[in-house]
Amino acid sequence: MTQDVSKAPFVQVRDLKRVFDVSKPWLNRVIESAPKQYLKAVDGVSFDIRKGETFALVGESGSGKSTVARMVVGLLPPSGGTVSIDGVSMTDAAAAQERQRLRRRIQMIFQDPYASLNPRWRVGRIIAEPIRAFDIIQGDREIEGRVGELLSLVGLHPDDGKKFPHEFSGGQRQRIAIARALASNAEFIVCDEPTSALDVSVQAQILNLMRDLQQKFGLTYLFISHNLAVVRHMASRIGVMYLGRLVEVSEGKQLFSAPRHPYTKMLLDAVPDLAMVGKAREGVKGEIPNPISPPSGCTFHPRCPLVFDRCRVENPPVIDGVACHAVNQGRAAA
Amino acid sequence: MSDEPLPVIPPSRLARFWDSDLVYSFRSSPVTVVASVMAFLLVLAAIFAPLIAPYDPFDPASLDLSDGFSRPMQPNEITGKVFWLGSDGQGRDIFSAILYGSRVSLLVGAASVVFSLILGVGLGLVAGYVGGRTEALIMRIADIQLSFPAILVALLVFGVARGLIPPAAQEQATLLVLVIAIGLANWAQYARTVRGSTLVEKNKVYVDAARLIGLKAWPVMLKHVLPNVAGPVLVIATINLALAVIEEATLSFLGVGMPPTQPSLGTLIRFGQQYLFSGEWWILLFPSLVLILLALSINLFGDWLRDALNPKLR
Amino acid sequence: MTQPVISVNELTVEFVTRRGTLRALDKVSFDVARGEVLGVVGESGAGKSVTGSAIIGLIDPPGRIAGGEVLLSGARVDNLPPEAMRKIRGKRIGMIFQDPLTSLNPLYRVGEQLIETIQTHTDLNAADARKRAIALLDEVGIPAPERRIDGYPHEFSGGMRQRVVIALALCAEPEFIIADEPTTALDVSVQAQIIALIKRLCKERGTSVMLVTHDMGVIAETADRVAVMYAGRVAEIGPVRDVVKQPLHPYAVGLMGAIPSIEGDAERLVQIPGSMPRLSNIPKGCAFNPRCSKAFARCFVERPELIDVGGRQVACHLYDQSKAPTGQSPTDKAEIAA
Repeated sequence: MTQDVSKAPFVQVRDLKRVFDVSKPWLNRVIESAPKQYLKAVDGVSFDIRKGETFALVGESGSGKSTVARMVVGLLPPSGGTVSIDGVSMTDAAAAQERQRLRRRIQMIFQDPYASLNPRWRVGRIIAEPIRAFDIIQGDREIEGRVGELLSLVGLHPDDGKKFPHEFSGGQRQRIAIARALASNAEFIVCDEPTSALDVSVQAQILNLMRDLQQKFGLTYLFISHNLAVVRHMASRIGVMYLGRLVEVSEGKQLFSAPRHPYTKMLLDAVPDLAMVGKAREGVKGEIPNPISPPSGCTFHPRCPLVFDRCRVENPPVIDGVACHAVNQGRAAA
Repeated sequence: MSDEPLPVIPPSRLARFWDSDLVYSFRSSPVTVVASVMAFLLVLAAIFAPLIAPYDPFDPASLDLSDGFSRPMQPNEITGKVFWLGSDGQGRDIFSAILYGSRVSLLVGAASVVFSLILGVGLGLVAGYVGGRTEALIMRIADIQLSFPAILVALLVFGVARGLIPPAAQEQATLLVLVIAIGLANWAQYARTVRGSTLVEKNKVYVDAARLIGLKAWPVMLKHVLPNVAGPVLVIATINLALAVIEEATLSFLGVGMPPTQPSLGTLIRFGQQYLFSGEWWILLFPSLVLILLALSINLFGDWLRDALNPKLR
Repeated sequence: MTQPVISVNELTVEFVTRRGTLRALDKVSFDVARGEVLGVVGESGAGKSVTGSAIIGLIDPPGRIAGGEVLLSGARVDNLPPEAMRKIRGKRIGMIFQDPLTSLNPLYRVGEQLIETIQTHTDLNAADARKRAIALLDEVGIPAPERRIDGYPHEFSGGMRQRVVIALALCAEPEFIIADEPTTALDVSVQAQIIALIKRLCKERGTSVMLVTHDMGVIAETADRVAVMYAGRVAEIGPVRDVVKQPLHPYAVGLMGAIPSIEGDAERLVQIPGSMPRLSNIPKGCAFNPRCSKAFARCFVERPELIDVGGRQVACHLYDQSKAPTGQSPTDKAEIAA
């Protein structure tokens, strides 16, 4: 590997877009003479992820963060924009062969540990599936040995491979899912709300495990979460999403010490937190608008305390990590 | 961690099986136990018909017209032979005929279930997984199919087959034609159920996990989705077995089913009904009773299976 | 001394299954004073929702209240016949559930449901009930209530629906409200609004609230006192500030440390080994003993009772001054183990 390659961002996402057709069925449209309806789930998102770091996307429901995750790993074709991982395009049809080779190095951990493991398969078979699919190790006994290793690595017993998923608790299942992600020696793992279905004490176990594994194997994470505290704990850099757009990208702790976008500030104000015991907080106004008919211009403008005319018509570009007219014009000194 | 280790003796495999929720719900339902014992015995009797039957009803050489119309459990007036369930006009033993007849009925029933199952599950899986136009096409065909009574579809298929197959081969081909006719009449139900479950399963993330490692659609469908939609299919297949046996009987009763040389229960009933008002009631009654018992016991077993496999009803 | 609005004494709830009797609640005791918000926190399976259901008499078979009592303003309510209990629910004890859609009938206008509830519990005529419904909607922060009252639940956003449910719970001016995960289904920014609303109403009306949630952050902001539950038992109960900042029970210590915060700088979260025992497999003695780093002989044989420690109650032998670990003879345990 040359110097140049290692300096280039490991994951490069440019102007990623995804539109969903949420129209009613054809017959209903004809009868009600309703037009087709589209939902812009992701609307022009760009970011880089450096090798070995944890980049987090945080946002409330409907912000499009999970859709971004699915497009990055190639589970969902984007409507526009590009994703490239280690120089290989995930979106260009011509790169299909290279992409197949890249697949081994990309894995995903999902939110619901009860749905992410095939209930009819024994755990050993689930973890061995990527090993067999990518032909990483040959021979049944060798594969079994590797599965045992992986299970120990995530804090389970090698004999647990003989059991079925329903014999495990939610936290243990998430450990199995992590073992599966590591089975193909993945380097880049996309984690879609990996702990939001878990109890706090179990969440702490899983988050610690993920950090340990990152250090051990130099993993790169794209970490999706709605929980700001979890994101703060895990991420080296954070992107905040609102209604399909990235509104702020910031170095980890800085987002919390010096938030810049008004939405980020509002979000930080809203999070119930242990540190807030007995303190009064500023009121939060409004709710997320319907994403099918988002507000014009900057989609946050109806809730924004810094709104002015330009915000209602013009979508702010991301400049220096913030997509906000007020910040860019220096009107948000506070 | 607790330094007070409890001596846990792992229960044996059999004990665990006996204690499992499925077996428990089976054990605690007397109706199901009786029904499945009944179904089991009937199926066993059909399979081992040549060993059990006292006479061979299809061997013309062994038939004696003097044995005709023997009453059940009574010695024949001329030959003195005893037929447990009586004999028909040609001196054929009803008991033996029923054993062989249920053999044919069950064979047609089981084969047609397998046929419709493979067809329906395959199409349903593809429809649910692929979606789009493929799905629309398959499901509309299924809708059309379901809007016709099954027996009408079977009659139609049977008629077409009659026209296509040369008369000489028709008798041999009847069994196959029946299987296809009944199978084609019942596939849509599987397709609908499987499509529904597939739509649910394919959105579960374990399917995404499989796609992530580059598996193509077919392996995902067969290895991941299929095992998880199998439960409801099993229930439908059981209940459909009873239905297929009855449909076969109906076709044979209408005269478009099994020929007299290879009578099924339906054929036997068709013969029997001619004698209903002339006093030889047993020729009709016993085959009908067996048909009812067979269908009823399989159905009751299927009902239990549906409840037991449905976690919502527990 | 004033009488508590709700007083739960040694409440025990059991579920009878064919594999044996499961104890979902095991001698749970706490009081809720007038105008107080008691947070009940615990992980899944801790019994926090069962506690709420037991208080309002909504334990369905095979579950049953196997012991203890529930007093509402001093009068026993756990042994009332179903019909009498039904009258108390809604009138004297209000309920707010996690998913506002399950509490609202989608086929009726919001106003119809409010007016019906008001008229069930008061003597107001239709016009007055409607006025009162509008006032309530206004009070819970629904803009243009005189117009929105004629809307259907699906025309409201998630946060607005939860406000309607709160209005519904307030209809009969109950003394006590059970809020079971009221903000879990909502987005962070909406969650904050609902928390603020519950707090404000409580203060203004003097209503007591039992706030059941798994989210310690919500409790920290809303509750006056908090009860930490573990495996169907109360582990610690006390003023929220004390329990959050200086938990005493080892489980509470682990729980608080496990929660990532948006302030503070813990690189590594505290982690409690293992997981909550299943109800069928609760260990002898203290239910937390297999996961506790401070467990000693007594913890494995004797269940700790709630004892007073500086203004709060803790169910842990470590704080039992009379029989500290050092004073305990280690032979006791050996005998029992043998």
